[in-house]
Amino acid sequence: MVDQNSNYALQTSEVYVHYGKKMAINNVALNFPKNEVTSLIGPSGCGKSTFLRCLNRMNDVIDICNVKGKFLLNGNVDIYSPDIQVETLREKVGMVFQKPNPFPKTIYDNVAYGPKIHGIASSQNELDEIVKDSLHRAGLYEEVKDRMDDIATGLSGGQQQRLCIARAIAIRPEIILMDEPCSALDPIATAKIEDLINELKENYTIIIVTHSMSQASRVSSKTAFFHLGNLVEYGETGKIFTKPDKEQTNDYITGRFG
Amino acid sequence: MSSLEKRLAAEKRFKFYGMFAMTLSLFFVLILMYKIFSTGSGAFVRTTINADVYFDPNFIEVSSNSSKKEIMKASYVDLADQVINQNHPGLDEENFIKVREMYTRKFDYQLRDYIVNNPNVIGKTVNLDISASSDLDQIVKGNYPRNVPEAQRKINDYQLSILDSLDSKGKMSKTFNFWFFTNGDSRDPETAGILGALMGSFYALLICFSFAFPIGLLASVYLEEFVKPGKITDIIEVNINNLAAVPSIVYGLLGLGMLIGVFGMPYQVPLVGGLVLGFMTLPTIIIASRASLRGVPPSIREGALAVGATKMQTVFHHVIPLSLPGTLTGTIIGMAQALGETAPLLLVGMVAFVMEIPGGAFDPATGLPSQIYLWSESAERGFLEKTSAGIMLLLSFLIIMNTVAVLVRRKLEVKW
Amino acid sequence: MLYLSLVFVFILSYSFYFYGKKRALSLKFKKNENLSSLPDYYGYYVVLLVFFPAIIIWFFLLIFKSNFQEMFVMSPVLFPDVATWSSGKFGLIMNKISNLSMIVNLSEIDLTVGDKSILKMASESEIIAAKNLANFDKIYGWSNLTLFIILPVLLGFLATKSISGKLNAQPIVEKIISYVIKGSSYIAIFITFGIFFSLVFEAINFFRYVNFMDFFFNTAWNPNRAFVINASEGFDQEALKEAFGFVPLLTGTLLIASVAMLVAVPLGLLTAIYLAEYASSKVRDIAKPIIEILAGIPTVVYGFFAALSLAPFIKDVGEGVGLPVSAESALAAGLAMGVMIIPFVSSLSDDVIKAVPQSLREGSYAIGATKSETIKKVILPAALAGIMGSFLLAISRAIGETMIVVMAASLRANLTFNPLEPATTITTQIVTSLIGDVEFDNPKTLVAFALGLTLFVMTLILNIAAITIVKKYREKYE
Ligand SMILES: Nc1ncnc2c1ncn2[C@@H]1O[C@H](COP(=O)(O)OP(=O)(O)OP(=O)(O)O)[C@@H](O)[C@H]1O
Ligand SMILES: [Mg+2]
Repeated sequence: MVDQNSNYALQTSEVYVHYGKKMAINNVALNFPKNEVTSLIGPSGCGKSTFLRCLNRMNDVIDICNVKGKFLLNGNVDIYSPDIQVETLREKVGMVFQKPNPFPKTIYDNVAYGPKIHGIASSQNELDEIVKDSLHRAGLYEEVKDRMDDIATGLSGGQQQRLCIARAIAIRPEIILMDEPCSALDPIATAKIEDLINELKENYTIIIVTHSMSQASRVSSKTAFFHLGNLVEYGETGKIFTKPDKEQTNDYITGRFG
Repeated sequence: MSSLEKRLAAEKRFKFYGMFAMTLSLFFVLILMYKIFSTGSGAFVRTTINADVYFDPNFIEVSSNSSKKEIMKASYVDLADQVINQNHPGLDEENFIKVREMYTRKFDYQLRDYIVNNPNVIGKTVNLDISASSDLDQIVKGNYPRNVPEAQRKINDYQLSILDSLDSKGKMSKTFNFWFFTNGDSRDPETAGILGALMGSFYALLICFSFAFPIGLLASVYLEEFVKPGKITDIIEVNINNLAAVPSIVYGLLGLGMLIGVFGMPYQVPLVGGLVLGFMTLPTIIIASRASLRGVPPSIREGALAVGATKMQTVFHHVIPLSLPGTLTGTIIGMAQALGETAPLLLVGMVAFVMEIPGGAFDPATGLPSQIYLWSESAERGFLEKTSAGIMLLLSFLIIMNTVAVLVRRKLEVKW
Repeated sequence: MLYLSLVFVFILSYSFYFYGKKRALSLKFKKNENLSSLPDYYGYYVVLLVFFPAIIIWFFLLIFKSNFQEMFVMSPVLFPDVATWSSGKFGLIMNKISNLSMIVNLSEIDLTVGDKSILKMASESEIIAAKNLANFDKIYGWSNLTLFIILPVLLGFLATKSISGKLNAQPIVEKIISYVIKGSSYIAIFITFGIFFSLVFEAINFFRYVNFMDFFFNTAWNPNRAFVINASEGFDQEALKEAFGFVPLLTGTLLIASVAMLVAVPLGLLTAIYLAEYASSKVRDIAKPIIEILAGIPTVVYGFFAALSLAPFIKDVGEGVGLPVSAESALAAGLAMGVMIIPFVSSLSDDVIKAVPQSLREGSYAIGATKSETIKKVILPAALAGIMGSFLLAISRAIGETMIVVMAASLRANLTFNPLEPATTITTQIVTSLIGDVEFDNPKTLVAFALGLTLFVMTLILNIAAITIVKKYREKYE
């Protein structure tokens, strides 16, 4: 049951997701502690992305997707309530995608877009400041400070992904959802992003889907293991990876899966 | 072995057929172009007769300090006759008419225009190049044969002798026929110009664009971005595909039956022509624009939605700008097709004889292709030339538009 | 003037953007309260509320200008009994007035002297009406201009007035835009309805005069016979029965389309095969665009070419070998049309051939087949459905083609299957019956719509068949 403890940035329970008739998430309950990194792991097709996309209602755009369940932001905001505006929700719950998807605009415009549409900055100076600060936090500022007006698609894949992170944090979200943010990147770029995640968790609650067990153990403090739409096990990352309670989890992390 | 040889021979033959077919198709392009250019190039040159023109005040109703309006309104027919008498002294009445026919019928207008521009010329003698009549022009250009019996010629023996004597005195010359570009239609080939038709087409395309582009763009946005697949979209979808294949003449009937018949819009005007062309171009634009919208990857939409943009913001800030080059390319190609469309213009009356240059979408006008049709129906050799020249102009516009479309695609289209 | 007022609509709408935005920014708020939307959206809000009503009214005034003109000129004030006039009388008087208006407009001319007989014959109110007509453009223009300054300003101020801290402009703006977008896509449907109803409506009118069966099964086409009228009794029924026989038009259309297909199908298909399977990429890059040029050439050009060069050439050749060839032979029109359709067939077939999976080709090569054998035995059979679809589209094109046949084919109906003889087509007769006087109460005009409807149905069936076949074919290889 949903716990009123506001140490959780996000609490979910009784989550069911269907694509048409097909079930993708089956009665999942999961809470995400504030300012911590939670990993979602599991075999391909088990519903990690689906679950993650429920958390900022990105599933709304898929017509056949039907989401049921309780989702509480900060212990009191029901994010699926009819009087919640989904745009305001997404302002609080940002997202970074598997493949970097910068807008084909300038680097500056990419980061400034969110603050602009939400009216976060009251002056051009403030906007400049936000862009600079976000790029800084995303660890990209030094690399791009001289070419803010270049088109973002000209950046390298790793840079693009960090730009997308900068874009996400520019609207000052409370939670950042990341769906396999490193899967399109080489090891060096991956390491940079992981460092970044470790820094960002000071200020943000991060939920990350990953296929890399080592990545999960490097960046997250909590881990949830999904299988066939079910949440099999949830706990401290260290525990999940060393002595999981469930056999299924054990099979998966030791690579003896399916 | 021999069977293999046979098979290889068959292979060779087949390849030859293919090459032959392709070469023949290319050959058709060449023949067409050659024919058009060889008949049309003459239209850009006009034969003139050099004459001393004494602007005799006795034959001019106005004086040098008359207002421009008065000068425009006065008649110069007598002056023109006087000029002919002066340059061909001693003509009897019969021969006078023959000589007069060698000059353009619009001789007096040419004199008038000269006075309008130089009012002080009255009372003075000036050496001017007067345009020859179209028949004379065609003889000089060699399009009418000289060595046939007089009865088969439009220029009689007497006129030929005058021509030869003028020629030997070096009075015949040719100038660039700028009238072709500055005049409206005329009954006389030598003064007929394409500008009226060009402006008619311009206004029609303007209307066509202002109708079809915004509506086509928004309709495709609705179909691609907003509506959930279902019955209504299917109906619209099938509809648009069929509209794209409806013969253009049927659109003409729509214009005539509905816009003119039911709404009481005027006949012969670019407004109606343009709207009909717009109806016709709309499916082309929608199809191109939808393809272009589909080309924008979903990840861009997700990226915008994820930072909290509304659907509308996502579409207007990101998706439409990214799809615009494709839409524009489709629009320009659609407009190029519309420019060459003749049948709908015929049905809404844009094929009349119109001398004035239309000043707007409400003035009676022809269009470029319908003017070509009109001229092509005329028997005179001088109009044949004009027809081909009109086609050259039309084709140049089409080439320009298609080139622009290619450039837009190359320069602006975002590759994913 | 109408254009000038459009400019005003744009300028005023644009300026109200800033006004609305400014107004939103100048609102005073208590602590912890703020604007519900970004200030820009208050600008858009005002713009939309100004622009759309104004532009709709503008369009209305543009489209119905001539109706207003009629109302203005033929006002009941001048002609008290105008409501009782028959449309014929109305038209006559309107005509007279418009002739008059050309004279009264010339202010220099003294109306009382000279041979101004129509003026003398005109009544007082007709002269006033003519003057009104002469001034109508000016009056209409100026009143428009005034309207389109006052209206946007009024709307703008009202909209701006309604801006308050509580007003959430963004959803309203998005709602308005979403209606506009939706409306745009329905226009495509309206056009189809428009086509359908204007054809059906006038075709029904036509069949009031002419028996349905007579039209579709008679073999004689002499529309001029429909003019055998007797003023009091209307149209001569016997003559009408004989005048509109559709059969020779259909055969003529099919004859010319067949000639065109006989040219376009082999040439187009072979060209497509050569370009897709044999030609080096260099040749392809040059040849393809040149052939596409053929597709971009307006049909009036082909028509001119057919009438000017092709028809005389064929006639000469025919006479050379002792065949009687008409100067307006179906052959000439068909050949020109065939050339026009070549690129159409070749590019559609090209797409279809390219869609045949590479694996089929490789399978054939692997058992030692030559290229031509592969093409003939494997690729063409596999692509057959798609190619057939493209042929159907090409036929539909040929049947609906107008200018080539108007310029090169005959105007006289001739029930024949000999391509050396003249023949006429449906489209030619549509154009012929509409050039000149258009009278919506005369079967000679109305027949165009009956022909148009038949043509529309024919091409629609062909198109739907073609689209379905091609779609099925695509699905097969996807
Ligand atoms: N748009 C969709 N329409 C229909 N079914 C979908 C859709 N997206 C996902 N699914 C289905 O839902 C299930 C869960 O998919 P999801 O993408 O959440 O898996 P995942 O755990 O993220 O897999 P991966 O690790 O491969 O990304 C899968 O069976 C998938 O086929
Ligand atoms: Mg996934």
